[in-house]
Amino acid sequence: MLKIENLHAEIDGKPILKGLSLTVNAGEVHAIMGPNGAGKSTLGYVLGGRPGYEVTAGSVTFDGHDLLDMDTHDRAAAGLFLGFQYPVEIPGVSNVQFLREALNAQRKSRGEAPLSGAEFLKLARAQADLLGMNQEMLKRPVNVGFSGGEKKRNEMVQMGIIAPKFAILDETDSGLDIDALKAVGEGINRIMRAPDKAVLLITHYERLLEYVEPDHVHVLVDGRIVRSGGPELAKQLEAEGYAEVAA
Amino acid sequence: MTTLTLPSRREEAWRWSKLDALRALADQPHGTALIADDHFIGLGGPRLVFVDGVLDADRSTPGRVRVEPLDLATDHPLGKQATGPGWRLTLDTDQATDPIEIVHIATGGANHLPARITLGEDAAATIVETYVGAGWSNRLTQITLARSARLMRSVRMLQSSGFISHRDEAQVGEGASLVSIFLGAGGMDCRVDGALHCTGAAAYAEMGGALLTQGEQNQEAAVSLRHDALDGQSHQTWRAVAKDRSTASLAARVEVARGAQKTDGEQSLRGLLLDRTSTINLKPELEIFADDVKCAHGATVGELDRTALFYLTSRGIAPARAKALLTRAFVADALSRIGTEAVRDAFTADADRWLERAL
Ligand SMILES: Nc1ncnc2c1ncn2[C@@H]1O[C@H](COP(=O)(O)OP(=O)(O)OP(=O)(O)O)[C@@H](O)[C@H]1O
Ligand SMILES: [Mg+2]
Repeated sequence: MLKIENLHAEIDGKPILKGLSLTVNAGEVHAIMGPNGAGKSTLGYVLGGRPGYEVTAGSVTFDGHDLLDMDTHDRAAAGLFLGFQYPVEIPGVSNVQFLREALNAQRKSRGEAPLSGAEFLKLARAQADLLGMNQEMLKRPVNVGFSGGEKKRNEMVQMGIIAPKFAILDETDSGLDIDALKAVGEGINRIMRAPDKAVLLITHYERLLEYVEPDHVHVLVDGRIVRSGGPELAKQLEAEGYAEVAA
Repeated sequence: MTTLTLPSRREEAWRWSKLDALRALADQPHGTALIADDHFIGLGGPRLVFVDGVLDADRSTPGRVRVEPLDLATDHPLGKQATGPGWRLTLDTDQATDPIEIVHIATGGANHLPARITLGEDAAATIVETYVGAGWSNRLTQITLARSARLMRSVRMLQSSGFISHRDEAQVGEGASLVSIFLGAGGMDCRVDGALHCTGAAAYAEMGGALLTQGEQNQEAAVSLRHDALDGQSHQTWRAVAKDRSTASLAARVEVARGAQKTDGEQSLRGLLLDRTSTINLKPELEIFADDVKCAHGATVGELDRTALFYLTSRGIAPARAKALLTRAFVADALSRIGTEAVRDAFTADADRWLERAL
């Protein structure tokens, strides 16, 4: 589904990704772990097409298409979802308005009919309920005044509504209390565990992986994947630390 | 040729103005009237249509509004040219009227129209004015609110070209409330000019709105608000959005006289530059002679938040629409001050149409 080959990317002329290769097939969950500053979020942003993140070499294909050649909103319409490490506050735009616009824009570019206000609300309410998010929060401005954990839950509600093919979830587990971690873990499984979907899970902790069991675990250090393995690698990292395992 | 005396840009109050086009417009003839039937919001009250400053009686149901010669005194250089017949609304004690809608159609050339609004004690009125067409529309409106009178005014400037000069002069009496909200969402230049005077204790005055400019447009608001009595409150919430090589300017002044203790004045001027080539000028001014007052003011100019834009587009929203959503949210603070929902919705829709065209 996603094939990254020898990806090099820089920010303001500073190389961050230095030859990263990774293949994720449909039906798989991959976890990426790695020390602070390794380039994990950068990988997510480059895949999402964030302005300022310049790809200097390498290629990324998504469902056979050249992902790097697509505009950010077209990547979303093609089924890519980026769960932000730091979800953005948008004063004056309600969650409901934002998500309905987003979903209908995606549907339109796929040639599907837009959802009416009532249809959308039904869907949004159901997803908010499943993730234990207060209905009132749907009406509030996007992420404004949300706690860290509420923002992460909101990312998952968005993912539930949008129902992407491929999700990159950047530290969706950090800042969550124990119950929220469970709810988010179950949410990821429910929304994304399917033969035609795949997930790239960026995390620092093995805890989330107890709910969302990865098929593959990769260690990203200094812009490259230095080691790959099965779920046991996450446990080893947790016990021994990156320095030891990556050495 | 008309001899038109215009204020000079060397005068501080007119430094951001671009009035040169007025000379040419003053000498041009009127054109032919457009059909204006869809410019009413439909609030169920009196309706007046002025074509080039002249009442179109066939299309008007003026209710309590009279059209008659008015003799208004003012020093304002543009306002004083609005002479001759004008409209007058006079409400006696406790009277109220259904919302009044006024549509000003300009067909080219220049048109001038004075207006007088006098509300007696506890009287209440809502007035919506809409400018459409082309040419120079010049207005002077004098307003007097007696004790506890309430006037809610919303003015939208939607001319496709030309210039709108709109001068308000108001006296707000004890416990009375004046709210005037403006929207510039057309293709014309404009100068919204106000001198509001809170003369009675606990008077409330508000003048604000949103100016949206693109191309080579030049729009400005210059408001001065004076508190003369105790316990007054005022708000000036203005938003300016400028695209291309356009200029939007906001100058807002609050004066608190020596006796006007406990005045609570709030001023919020914010500008959003949609292009590096556009200009926004902000000039907040406070002049306070009383010691026990609360005057909050803020003035900032910025660009759209890039991180927010990326967040929106990463969810599938096209860049132009993402910009429109953020700009709409930026402008909403000013338009949310409009009290009547139908009016607020109509103004928001006008702003949305502007955003769709511009982005
Ligand atoms: N705008 C920027 N300008 C310069 N350097 C940047 C910029 N943004 C990120 N970096 C650098 O890029 C490197 C990778 O950052 P990135 O956010 O991808 O790390 P990460 O692996 O996600 O770390 P963490 O675990 O702390 O989230 C860091 O050294 C960071 O300082
Ligand atoms: Mg990160």
